[in-house]
Amino acid sequence: MNIVVAMKQIPDLQQVRIRNRQPVLDGVPMTFGSIDKNALETALQLKEAAGGNVIVISAGTEELEDTVKEALAAGADEAYLVLDDELENIESSVSAHLLAELIKQIENIGIILFGEGSGDNYSGQVGPRIAEILGLPEVGYVCDIELEDSRVKVTRSLEDCEEIVRVNLPAVLTIMADINEPRIPSVTQILKAGKKPKQILEVEDIGLDLKGDKKIITLSSLAPENKRKQITVKNGEELVDALLTEGVIRR
Amino acid sequence: MEFKLSKEQELIQKTAKEYAEKAIEPLVNQIEDENRVPDEVIEGLRELGLLCLPVEEKYGGAGAGFEGFVVGLEQLARVSGGVGIFVSVVMLGTSTIAVHGTEEQKEKYLTGTCKGSWIPSVAMTEPDGADPRMLKTTAKKDGDHFILNGTKRFITNTNFAGPMVVFAKDADTGRINGYIVDKFCEGYSISEPWDKLGSKGAFLSDVYLKDVKVPVSNMLGTPDEGFQTLKVTMAMGKIGLSAIYLGNILAAYDEAFNYSKDRIYLGKPISQFESVRNSIVDIAMKYEAAKLMTYRIGYLADNTANKAKLVKDSAMTKIFVTETAVDVSRIAMNVFGSYGLMKDYKMSRIYRDAIVGPQIEGTANLLKTVVATDMYK
Repeated sequence: MNIVVAMKQIPDLQQVRIRNRQPVLDGVPMTFGSIDKNALETALQLKEAAGGNVIVISAGTEELEDTVKEALAAGADEAYLVLDDELENIESSVSAHLLAELIKQIENIGIILFGEGSGDNYSGQVGPRIAEILGLPEVGYVCDIELEDSRVKVTRSLEDCEEIVRVNLPAVLTIMADINEPRIPSVTQILKAGKKPKQILEVEDIGLDLKGDKKIITLSSLAPENKRKQITVKNGEELVDALLTEGVIRR
Repeated sequence: MEFKLSKEQELIQKTAKEYAEKAIEPLVNQIEDENRVPDEVIEGLRELGLLCLPVEEKYGGAGAGFEGFVVGLEQLARVSGGVGIFVSVVMLGTSTIAVHGTEEQKEKYLTGTCKGSWIPSVAMTEPDGADPRMLKTTAKKDGDHFILNGTKRFITNTNFAGPMVVFAKDADTGRINGYIVDKFCEGYSISEPWDKLGSKGAFLSDVYLKDVKVPVSNMLGTPDEGFQTLKVTMAMGKIGLSAIYLGNILAAYDEAFNYSKDRIYLGKPISQFESVRNSIVDIAMKYEAAKLMTYRIGYLADNTANKAKLVKDSAMTKIFVTETAVDVSRIAMNVFGSYGLMKDYKMSRIYRDAIVGPQIEGTANLLKTVVATDMYK
């Protein structure tokens, strides 16, 4: 069984600074979104439990060919990529179309995993759109997965409860961030990552026209300034109250 | 000329940073207080390939070369100087064996370290000093064995089982050679650990060798190669120390920069005072210079066939980086003011760690003599 994980290349958010309410992206290295890494870790754990092959799919700028080494180092077996510098800031329906075409090229798919939202725009649309394009069932907000022969038992984390559902495979699952702790890739795996198989497609191979209104244009950014909150207290009691209110300490 | 890490090197840096922050940082005070690297940290380093970064893959190493080694070690030492020294000494032992060892020695000792549970050491310094001409430890040939006698001082990782490369003088010829001693064999004993001012964590003690029997097959290289082996060891040790104290500079940089943004004085962050800003810029410049030299020596180690030729460049790098670390720590301490003196603040440990660098594996004055000798020959 092939387990497919969709991952999105984004700037390393830990290294993005905010200046004049705009993110400064110059010189920031690319990585994958953090919840995408949870999705990959889920795939690796499923593989360890039941065997199979973990395939990463992604569409992005040429730099993606290098960035994908991060997923291959973490344990993915191979990668299917669409590379084109025009793919920067494409909107969700285009991503879904490109990734669906990649998925069609992979045989014997059991599970297609997504993070519940990407690390940059967090629209959470691509997973459900792909399920629709491919005519597959989709389960969102997944916090636990158990394999059961030709189906999976999935726990969904909802606002005030958990819901357990069973779904036949193949299926699209979108993963919550707290489902696991992604592993740290070993140096040996890092150095082998570049030698793992990669299938690379061009946008033309998929027959998609990127011209027109296919891109997201940021009109204004409301990135918060990193301001220190200042609270004045008169005595210890007020200090404790303030710390409790701010959630710094708990009773 | 390219001043850019490869994607693989970036990922090695990330793995080392992430492991150091997740697994080592929470134990830093314990490492300081107990003056030992916990077993779980050693196993974690081994599993991630961070313990044997430059060792070839066929012996169980990561095969990341010395470029990968300096990049990874910098991040480990940024969090703990003691762990940095521990890993550096593993590199020192494995590299000495990798360069001059026989295939059989490499198969046994490198694999036993990278895949097994051994932790290597190297023993050169003696109570009188580290100059090869002053070595008093002797190796006396006796049939199929050498009999080693002597005392070694300030030796790291002596409390772990594994190979120890001991430099000793042949009792008959007076030539110096390296011999691989299996630690804790008959006649091997160690002192109580020394309690260093800083860079704590890696166990440091004296070693007593009393009629230690070493098979002839455990001599490193041929009898006339001993001085070359010694030069390789000297060079490799300095590459490790450069990466460790580059990590120390980075730690001071991070601490001082962040503190300058957080500390409020006269109603504004101290980063808004020009004198503090200048201090931070000084630190940033010194870090970049030290980084260039350290990464360069990693590159040279990967691209120099005769590693004994690295003695001059590695000495210059070690002098520059360790002295810069002291400068940077002092500047960073000034940014902190009195708070930097307090043990509750990481800055105090970084300062104590920095002071250690110029004193070990050759003081700056001694190493400058080595460099000058090479320049004027």
